[in-house]
Amino acid sequence: MNYGRELLKGNTDSLLLCLISREPTYGYQIVKELETRSDGYFQFKEGTLYPALHRLERDNLITGKWQILPNGQQRRYYYITEKGQQVLANRLATWQDFASAVTSVIQTETT
Amino acid sequence: MVSSISHYLNSFKACLKIDHTIRDDVAEELSAHLEDKIQELEENGLSKEEASKIAVQSLGSPELIAQQIYETHAQGSWKEALFSALPHFLVALLFASYFYWHNLIWLSIVLILTVGMAIYGWHRGKPIWLFPWLGYYLIPVVVTGILLLSLPQGWGWIAALIYIPLALFVFIYIVRQTARRDWLYASLMLAPMLVIFSWFSSLGTGNRLLSSDWIAGLQTNALWIVISFITLAGATIAFIRLKPRRYKILSLLIPPLVILFSVTMASRGNIDSWGWLILLFSLFAFATPVWMQARAYQ
Repeated sequence: MNYGRELLKGNTDSLLLCLISREPTYGYQIVKELETRSDGYFQFKEGTLYPALHRLERDNLITGKWQILPNGQQRRYYYITEKGQQVLANRLATWQDFASAVTSVIQTETT
Repeated sequence: MVSSISHYLNSFKACLKIDHTIRDDVAEELSAHLEDKIQELEENGLSKEEASKIAVQSLGSPELIAQQIYETHAQGSWKEALFSALPHFLVALLFASYFYWHNLIWLSIVLILTVGMAIYGWHRGKPIWLFPWLGYYLIPVVVTGILLLSLPQGWGWIAALIYIPLALFVFIYIVRQTARRDWLYASLMLAPMLVIFSWFSSLGTGNRLLSSDWIAGLQTNALWIVISFITLAGATIAFIRLKPRRYKILSLLIPPLVILFSVTMASRGNIDSWGWLILLFSLFAFATPVWMQARAYQ
């Protein structure tokens, strides 16, 4: 099993919550943001994003609303909920603790 | 170009057996995603045909997305699971105590509750928990047909010739409407009918129906009947809570096995021809939707 893919799978929800918490956004924009911010590191089948978004919506972490763009096209914008913000804050804190612990161990090993 | 996108979206919709409003909403989102992708690729110099081909490929397998979306929406909450199993528990309770059978107030409460729940569910957009309750509504339709067949010679057939085609029409109409939403919901709805008619057939039909021997048989086998309904309630909870579709199918197949075992044990093979007919009809009605779904799944 690809380790990078497993890591991404385990952190997809946090990444999505993080992006949606910055500004309300929709599916395609999320894909582009992930690609841009990660310098192309995150590569995945774009369709798999939607089950993840719907899972977050089911758990009341985000909420989706259809909006009409100035050009007449419709997009489903996702907004983070209060519960989503709390979950994101907890996950970010856990991730930072975890990352710094892993970094400390790796640095000790390599020095 | 249009055909490859519509083919993709149609495949997605065909694979996704959930509430149509949710399904159409997700399909609309995927369509919007494809529009954006195609527009971007065209701006990068690709032809419309090439752009749409790449856009569809980058979304990934429609079957896989449908399966993942299904698993997100297919798992009902514990509240929904308990609501779905409640009518089976109520009927089990009815048979668990001799008192409840003969108490008109209790029977009226159960009846009013059942009618109230069905009306409430119907107006709340037909949620999944409604279907087991609806199943109990089909029972009087079939029971009336059986009772009409038990009328004295001559009259029975006249009544049956008028009533049975009409009842079958209503029955098939409701099953088809339910199966349109999901084949498995039709089986979930018909499951109580299978239990009740299996027991009906084992205790005797025709002139023996509702006779003192028949009622006595009902009392003697009350424990097995309660076990059948508790099994059905358990299977319903499992059906609502399980995510993968194949496990849902498996959970629906457990009650018939337990019920057939219980009926065989209780009747010791003394089932008359009408009894077999009713039993086979119930089994056929119950198993057809599951079988249709299993075929679609392959």
